[in-house]
Order: sequence, then C-alpha cells, then structure tokens
Amino acid sequence: MYTGEPIPEEEQEEALAPAPETQPAEPLWYKDAVIYQLHVKAFFDSNNDGVGDFRGLTSKLDYIQDLGVNALWLLPFYPSPLKDDGYDVADYHNVHPQYGTRSDFRQFVREAQRRGLKVITELVVNHTSDQHPWFQAARQAPPGSPKRDYYVWSDSDQKYKGTRIIFTDTETSNWTWDPVAKQYYWHRFFSHQPDLNFDNPHVLEAVLRAMRFWLDIGVDGFRLDAIPYLCEREGTNNENLPETHAVLKQIRRAIDDGYRNKLLLAEANQWPEDVRPYFGEGDECHMAFHFPLMPRMYMAIAQEDRHPLVEIMQQTPEIPDSSQWAIFLRNHDELTLEMVTSRERDYMYKQYAADAQARINLGIRRRLAPLMENDLDRIRLMNSLLLSMPGSPIIYYGDEIGMGDNIYLGDRNGVRTPMQWSPDRNAGFSRADPQRLYLPPIMDAVYGYESVNVEAQARDPSSQLNWMKRMLATRGSSKAFGRGRLEFLRPGNRKVLSFIRETKEEAILCVANLARTAQPVELDLKRFKGRVPVEMLGRTAFPPVGELPYMLTLPAHAFYWFRLAADATPPDWHRDMLVKEEAPVVVLFDGWTSFFRDQVVPWRIGMAEKLRAELETQVLPRYVEAQRWYAAKGEPVKQAVLADHTIWQEGAVGWLLGLFEVQKERYFVPLAMAWEEEEDSVRALAAGAVARIRQQANVGLIGDALADEAFCRHVVKSIGAGKALPMARGTLRFAPTGAFGRLATEDLAGLSIGALKAQSTNSSVQIGEHFFLKCYRRLRAGVHPELEIGRFLTEVARFPQCVPLAGAVEYAAKGDGEPTTLMLLQAYVPNQGDGWMYTLGFLQRYLESAGKQEGLGAYLSLIQTLGARTAQLHRAFAKPSGDPAFEPEPFTAQDMQEWKARVRQEAEQTFKILEKNASDPVKAILGKQHQIIQKIESCPAPKGPALKTRHHGDYHLGQVLIANNDFVIIDFEGEPGRTLAESRRKHSPLRDVAGMVRSFSYARWSASQSDKLQQQPNPLLADWESQARRAFLEAYGVDPDQRGLLVLAEIEKLLYELRYELANRPDWLHVPLRGALGLLGESP
Amino acid sequence: MNNGIDVYIEPLRMFLRQAGEFLPRLGLAAVVVIAGWILAKMARFTIVRGLRAINFNVLTERAGIDGFLRDGGIESDTTDILGLLAYWLVILAALVIAFNGLGLTYITDVLGRVVLFVPKVMVALLILAFGAYFARFVGNAVCAYFRNIHLQDADLLGRLAQYAILAFVVLIALDQVNVGGDIVRQTFLILLAGVVFALALAFGLGGKDWAAAMLERWWPRRK
Repeated sequence: MYTGEPIPEEEQEEALAPAPETQPAEPLWYKDAVIYQLHVKAFFDSNNDGVGDFRGLTSKLDYIQDLGVNALWLLPFYPSPLKDDGYDVADYHNVHPQYGTRSDFRQFVREAQRRGLKVITELVVNHTSDQHPWFQAARQAPPGSPKRDYYVWSDSDQKYKGTRIIFTDTETSNWTWDPVAKQYYWHRFFSHQPDLNFDNPHVLEAVLRAMRFWLDIGVDGFRLDAIPYLCEREGTNNENLPETHAVLKQIRRAIDDGYRNKLLLAEANQWPEDVRPYFGEGDECHMAFHFPLMPRMYMAIAQEDRHPLVEIMQQTPEIPDSSQWAIFLRNHDELTLEMVTSRERDYMYKQYAADAQARINLGIRRRLAPLMENDLDRIRLMNSLLLSMPGSPIIYYGDEIGMGDNIYLGDRNGVRTPMQWSPDRNAGFSRADPQRLYLPPIMDAVYGYESVNVEAQARDPSSQLNWMKRMLATRGSSKAFGRGRLEFLRPGNRKVLSFIRETKEEAILCVANLARTAQPVELDLKRFKGRVPVEMLGRTAFPPVGELPYMLTLPAHAFYWFRLAADATPPDWHRDMLVKEEAPVVVLFDGWTSFFRDQVVPWRIGMAEKLRAELETQVLPRYVEAQRWYAAKGEPVKQAVLADHTIWQEGAVGWLLGLFEVQKERYFVPLAMAWEEEEDSVRALAAGAVARIRQQANVGLIGDALADEAFCRHVVKSIGAGKALPMARGTLRFAPTGAFGRLATEDLAGLSIGALKAQSTNSSVQIGEHFFLKCYRRLRAGVHPELEIGRFLTEVARFPQCVPLAGAVEYAAKGDGEPTTLMLLQAYVPNQGDGWMYTLGFLQRYLESAGKQEGLGAYLSLIQTLGARTAQLHRAFAKPSGDPAFEPEPFTAQDMQEWKARVRQEAEQTFKILEKNASDPVKAILGKQHQIIQKIESCPAPKGPALKTRHHGDYHLGQVLIANNDFVIIDFEGEPGRTLAESRRKHSPLRDVAGMVRSFSYARWSASQSDKLQQQPNPLLADWESQARRAFLEAYGVDPDQRGLLVLAEIEKLLYELRYELANRPDWLHVPLRGALGLLGESP
Repeated sequence: MNNGIDVYIEPLRMFLRQAGEFLPRLGLAAVVVIAGWILAKMARFTIVRGLRAINFNVLTERAGIDGFLRDGGIESDTTDILGLLAYWLVILAALVIAFNGLGLTYITDVLGRVVLFVPKVMVALLILAFGAYFARFVGNAVCAYFRNIHLQDADLLGRLAQYAILAFVVLIALDQVNVGGDIVRQTFLILLAGVVFALALAFGLGGKDWAAAMLERWWPRRK
C-alpha cells in the first residue's frame, strides 16, 4: 500500500547514468514489435514480501527475451493507493516502494535494453489519485486559482450531461462532491480518480515534466491511458474532442523535439474511425489499440465464420505509414465488449461467460485459456490470428503458458494473479508466506500452478510455451507480419479465414480453420502462380501454385502460415499436371520429321527449315536455360544446335534422341511427343514440357522423354537386347551387363515407372522395384567413371554396398573410337533417402530437443557404419584385378611432392579468384594465404607404404543412401567441376574421407542456417560435428602415419569448395570459409 | 594395164574413198556416242541429285511407290529410275544422232520412237508419284474425317477412296504411255459399271423389304 511516506533521500540520487542504447537505432521498431505486457507486482518477488518487484522482474528478463518478444509494457508501478491497480497515480516521478526503488528501475531498464527489449511504461494523465499532492493542494486552493484548476470543478453535478458513465457497476455519476473544496469534481472513472484539467497549461507542463523524467531514464515509450477523455466541453459526449487532439500533438512534439525513436501508444477504446484521428498525420500517437478487432476474433471462432473479422478489418481505415495498430487477445482489464453491438454482446456473453460471475462492466473477466475452455487447438488458433493480423501483437503475461484465472477475486484481479513459474510454493513466484501474497495464485485442478507452469512447459517440447516461442521466432522471420498489406481471400468455405500479408519483398499466406471440424478450402492464388508455398513453422515446401484454385485441407481449428516463395524449389515428388502456359506452341505438319528438311515432301521444305530454326533458337534454348542440369546457369542460351540425332520409332510411337550443342557443351536431350487423347502421357510429359504442339486439329506436347513411360520401357528392353541404333552421325549402343539378367525378372510392361527426378548433372527415373534409369545430360567424352567403376565393383570386386550396374547406353560418333555414356541402368535399391537429408532431418530434431543425447547415440553409430563401409569400399578398390585402370599403385614420395605442388597451385588460383570478390566474409581469409601454403607444405609424407587407387572422387553425405540402417554408396561420377580424366586418375583414397568430413561441416551450417535465431555458431552443432567427425574417422581407421595425406586432402577439398561456391552458390561461401579458418586453428 | 589395174583398184579405191568418207562419220558418231554417254551420266547425276534435293524421294516413299518397288525386288527407288530413264534418254538421243550421221535411217527411225517414248514414261512416273501421294493424302483425310465423326470402318472407307483415286491415276499414267488404249478405257468402264452394278444390287437386295414397305404405303394393295 502507498503510505504517503517521503521517499528516502539516497534513492532520489541519480546514482546510475541512463542506460546506453545497445540496439541500432530503428525509428519504426514498433512496427515489428511483439509486446509482452506484465505487471511488476505479478511477475516475480525477489524479496519475499508477497509482491513482485523490479529486482524480481530483472532476474526474469532472460525468460522474456527467450520467449522471443522484443518489447515490454509495464502496468503502472508508481506510488499509488492502489485502489485501481496503480492507475490511480499518487506521484508521477517515483516507483511504488513495494516494487523497489528508482535505481532498481534504472537497473531493470538497462538490463532489458541490453537484451534488446524495449520498455514501455504507463502514462496515466487523464486522472490522478485523490491522494496525489496536486489534488490535495487543489481542494485546499481557492476556486479559480491555478492550483485549484489542476482539476475540473463544478458547483453542480448537472454539467456535461451528455457524458456516459464508464464503470457502470460502481459509479452512478461522473461528478463527486468534495467536502473540503465544497465543489463537485469531475471523474470519468472511479470517484477516487479526479480528472486533470488540460485546459490549464500548468497541467500539461507538469505532465511533460513527468514524461521527460522517465524518458531520460531510458524508457522507450508510453502507453497513454484513457486518452480520449482528456478535455471536456459542454454539449459534447466529452470523448475524442479536438482539444484533446491538440494536447496530444503537443505531447508528441515535446517527445520528437527531445528524443529519438520513442513511442506513444494510445489507449482509445473506440471504433476504428474514431481511433484513426489519434494517429493524426503521423503527428500524434505512433500506435493505437485496435479494440474492436479483439472481440471479433473470439466471435469468429465462436460462430465458425470469418465474417466478423473480415468485416471489422474492412471498416478499419488506412493509417499513416509510420503508424501501427496494437492488437491483443487479452489484457489486464476485462475482455471489453464496448465495441460490439448489443446483439453481438449477448452472443459473446452466452458463448464465453455463461457464468454471470465472469461478467464485469461491459465485458468478461477471464484469461485466454479459460475462454477457450483450455482447448489447446483453439488457444493456438487464436494466437496465430493475433500474430498474423496487421499490427503489433501484445501478449499478456501468463497467456504464453495458458494460465487460468479466478473470477471470484473481485474487480479484475482474477486475471492479475501471480505468474506461475514452477509447481513450488506460491507457484515459484515468491518464497513469502502464502497468506502474504498480494493475490493467491491459481490453484484449481486444471489451471493451477501445479499443472500449468513455466518449469514444466520449458521441458516439454510440445508445450504451449515452446509452441509460442516457435511461433514468435517464425513471426520474427518476416517483416510482412508487422508491415505487410492485408488482403483477404474469399474462398467459398466461410469457415476458413484466409488472407495474404504482403510487402514488396515477400508475401505470406495465412489460412485458418475457424471450425471445430476439418475443413477443405480452395484458394484463388492466381496472382502468385508458380510460387511455392513454404509452410513457415516446419519450412516444408508445398506443391507450387498452379492454374487451378489451390486446395488445402485443414484439421479442426488448424492454421497454416505459408511464405509464397519465388525462390524455393517445389517438393521433389511434385509433378506438374498441367503444361506451363508459357511453353511455346510449335505447329507441326508431320510429327518429328517436321524438323528435318530432308525428310519432308518437296513443298514442305521451307516450313521444315523454319521449324528447325525455331526449335534450335527459341524452343530448346528456353527449355535448356530452365533445367537444373544446364551447366552455365544464368547464362542465356542463344542456340541449341542439333549435333546428332535419330528418330527412334517403335511401332506407332517415336522419340527424337538428340545431342544438342549448347554453349560449346554437348547435352543429351531425348524428346517424346504426346497427343491430347493420350491423357496419361500428356500428364506425364507435362512435368518436363518443352513445347506445346499442334498438328492440324490435334494438340499435344513435346517433353522430356525420360518422363515418358514407354520410352523408359523401351530403353530397358533395348539394353536387354543389346540393340544398336544408327544416328545421323554415329551409333547409339545399348549394352547390358552380367547383372541385367539377374535383375530383369519381371515383365517390363507391368513395371510402374516413377516420376522424373532432376539432379544437377543427370535425370533419373525409377522403374518398378528393379531398375533405376539415370540419364546424363551434359556429355563428357570418354569412359564415364560411374560406368567403369559400376562394372568393376559389380563384376570384379563384387562390393555389395554399391548399386549393381545393369546396363548402359553409349554414343559413338562415326570414326571416333571413344564412346560417350548417355544413360546408365542400375539396380534400384530400396532406401530411406540419402545421408544428407537424413542428417539434416536429424539435426533439426536434435536442435529442437535441445541436444538430447539419446538420438545422437543412434546417429553416431550410423556414422560409424558409414566409416566402416567407406573403408570396405577402399579395400575393394585396392584389390588387384589385372585391369590397369584399377590396379593399385604405391603412393611414392614423388606423388606427395606433385600433389602438394598441385594443391599449392590451386590455393594460389583460389586466392586470386577470392581477391576479385573481396566481400566481407572473404576478407577474413584473404590475409591467410601464406598460412594456408605453409599448412600445405607442412603436411608430412606417409611414413609406411601407402596406396594410390581409384576412389569415389566426390564423396559426401548426398552420395550415400540409407537402407536398413546401412549405407549404399552411389554416384561415382567424380566432382562435377573436374574432367573425366581427372576423375579417373588414381589417388589417395583419403580424399574421399576428407570429402565426407567436409560434408559434416556443410550439414552443420546448413542446419544452423535454417534456424534464423542462430546468428552465432551453435555450440550444439559444433559439438555434433566434432563427434560425427571423430566417429567416422575412428570407424574408417585412418592410419596415423597417413594423417598428413588426410590434412592435404581436406585442404584440397576446401579450396575446391571455395571456388565452387564462389562461382555457383555465393550464399554458401561461408561454409568453406569457416572450414578454412577452422583448419588454421582460428575459431570458425 | 593401167585399166586392168584400175579395174582392180577402182573398187578398192571406191571402197577406200567410201571408207574415207565413212570413217570420219563413224568417228564423229563414236564421238557423239561417247559425248552422249558422258552427258547421260551427268544428266542422271543431276536429275538424281536435283530430285533428292527437293525431296522427291520422300514424296515417292510416302506415296508408297518405293515400297511397291522394293516389294517387287527392285533395289532402286523412283528417283533412281527417273535418273536411269534420263540416262537412257540421253544415250538414245546420242545414238539417234550418231546413226543419223551414219545415215542408218531405219535404226534412227526405230530409236527415234524409243527416244520419244522415254519422256512419256518419265511423265507417267511423275504422274504416278504425285497421284499416288495425292491418293494417300485423300485417303488419310477421309479416314481422319470419318474417324472424327466416329464412323466405324473409317479405315476401310479411307482405303477405298485412296484406291479409287489410285486406279484413276494408274489409268492416266497408262494413257500417257499409250499402253492399252481402248482396252484400258474399256476396262475402266467395265470396272465402273461393275461397281455401280454391285452398289445397285447391294442397295436393291438390302432395301428390298424397305422398298416393299414403301410401295405398300404409297399404293396399298386392295383386298
């Protein structure tokens, strides 16, 4: 209780300087703010007197920061008789002694700002407590004197008759007789809260003094309490008067003149059109509460209809660019129903306050969780609406853990009970005698602190608290929530609310099912055609938006937030069922032969020449540019010249097998044609559509033949038959291996053909459970290592952990001896995806579980298996076979010298490229060239005998498939940037080991990058990487005498990665950079 | 003596004079024939190349003539045959000139007729090539049309149209080479009459009941 005692002298001393600004100045910070509203007395009690205090609050700042909010709004903490929860201020310049001292407050502000939390306090200037010295002086002063005029006096209680009474439950008049002053004084709220008289310039002066006092301490903003009622004029309803706005403008000017980046938040419980003037033209308040939105969120889910929400947002006027709405679900007051019609109010009462005890004034005194009957789905749905609606959301303390209330506590105290920290005494809020607490904590069976508390929820990954953290982190990842435009979509299903929040940079689609049953919805997203919706909480890519309405199904009370990403890739299983509209139309007259002038009737020659030119200069270039396998990505293709071709006719169907010359590289592009009536083929081809075609009245399309089932079947069949197909300038040879007969056990026609999958160098198709057809796109002359190694491992070394090779399709140009591999037929290995996806999935779970060791153990044992398998692979390569291409050779001292020289040369070359691109992250390494060279030179040569063998060449987590807790090693192509001859060269197999070790590093940074919160290196991930590395190396069993080789191989790999990332994926450059720094012993 | 010798020598002299007069002509004829042979080779080469350049071979292939020839065991295609004809045309023309030079008018006469016949064969071949392509084109169009209106036997009707046109084309080609003359014309008329008769018969037999019913309706039998 405020006792009116003078404040001790030493506390008035300004012992501490204003808190330093730690955040970069951002004038519009409040537009992206998520505000946590709390009462000092209810948060944490540090001195065990039963009332929370600033020291307690300061000690819990980490919790608030961890939650993910970025501003704090404190309810009044000023000296006060506390008849209205502190809104009856008795001294504007001090802290209520119960809550601590001014220096405690300064300390709190400093600590909050150090954590990036803004502090917003209450500025209650409409009225004071009747205990305030100003009022005490006024009632004593003679009428008409400036001191008396601090308040509004009247001889009659009949003045201002048109003014409503706000607290209808307690007050009968806005006038109360003061026996001392012998006049009535004006009060819009309780009778112990006389209204200040802003017609008196001294009052405004005094208020500005109080504001400056707190701003000087470091407070970032004020919530202006009861702001519409500042001035009074006869004949009006005394709300929102022009005089009031004039006062506000003066207050704003005073703030803008003396301070930067401060905030005024207007509390005006009014309709939106009446609130709009409180923003002025950006010259009054920065923010204002959107009161009518709040009850309509409740109404929408009660009625299971989006109408209330859509309607109120349509009535909401535009506000200045620098302004922002403040939105909330619950606060310290009752859930006010002033801003609804009386019919709606009845509905709300019936729905949410069937118990009359829960009603107070024109509202409901309950917290969010009890209003939602503790239904977690509904609580989360409400929160998702709050966090996605336009405005800065305010979260009332305790709602993040789903705290309950106690409607029997009188006034609105039921929602102001102590924060529930733990199941300990007094909910962990205070060690005081329970009877001494300012209010008893919630103790019922459902919401009581033993079941609902921070401690328990922090440990439960699926708790409301952790969910809230994830939601806030997700919201923080996009500025569109705070600043984006709002556009409602109007799907036919009215139970689904869907809207788009859009800034120039991004668009976010929010979809919420307001019903308690599952609902489907079809959204008109035409404007975003081609974008990939990425679900924001799980970062899962959904199929891209197409021509048709976008169909979603939502479980009961579910919601989705999608980023409509222009840069994300659609899920790899997705197949485009419709041909892209922008695919060009080619008018044919004679099927495939239309493109060949020497195969058409005489009068069509001109047309054929034109068509061929169209194919080579327009159709194919556009297609090739868009393909993942196009090597010179980003470089426009002028021409794709048909270097060699054949029309492969099998019965009625034919395919154009073409070798195209694009930018001096040769690409293999087999094409298939499908006509409209063959719907299945058209659908299959649509995924890789090259062009739409028309021949007389028939329409169809040309697409990638790999997507054509008949083509895949015929390829397999021809491989089995060892067919040779003449081409214009060469021959296509289909050749089986010994394994073909073993694998081709079923009738080909019965095998299902999977979807076409595109990788960076090849495309592949799964054929039944038997085969895997892989088509190389960019052709490199010479024996393909994958074919050669596949044959060796399958037929000579009989290494079981690789994919058996069943056959190949090779192209031999006339007169040229060396065949080029076009396609490989491999056995299909049932698998659970590759090691890379598995690892990323694991890391995400690992991070979410905050580093639980159980999962890690299982993962590491898998990595040990990988190490062992890698060692076995290398032993298979080292097997003497008599084949000179595979025969192992001793690794001599000269080899070591040559290798070092080569790596050194690569280092110099890499640094030259890096210097040209001296961006910020690159600078960190630029000065270290000398150290790197030194490191290369210092690699010791192997002490014992070492071998030079064939090896994988591009070994990383993406090259191993997981199957039954074991690994199958795939893709013996070598690094895509090296020539075939280089890939085929024998070398130390430790290069593979280095590759895998580097891959762990990639996985680590990939996992941390996908977690936007993680700016600093995550210690969990660092620990994971070192453990995975150790497990792998131990299981592989690197000979200690050959450590030098491993280091050298790792440096070589790092240099390769630096060059590769710089040329192809600058976003990833930081990974090898950190790796290089780590190698030099500097923290990555 | 002199006379005596003259008597002996004169025929020889005559012979020599005649031979002297004839030999240059023979030489000239030989030159003409050799030149003709070279020219013929060039003509064949040019024609074959030229026809292939304008995809005449594609036309005959599509028209089915080449396939027909292949089925008959002939390795070369229509283009080659046209080249061969051109070759022989030039050779024969050269021979005509040569024999004419030699004054062998009878042979010249016979060869001249052959020479005049060869172009007709070539034209007939061209007629056959284009005509057969046209027949196939019409056949395909008819077939596609009937298929689009979902008529059964669309293939049959298409084939019928194609062969009908082909029959005309063959007759025109034969007419061109003056083969058969009346016989061809009469054959055609017989065929046409046969088809019409067959149709009439089919219609009559098929529609007998219907016609009876119609007659019954128009002129009911008095009872």
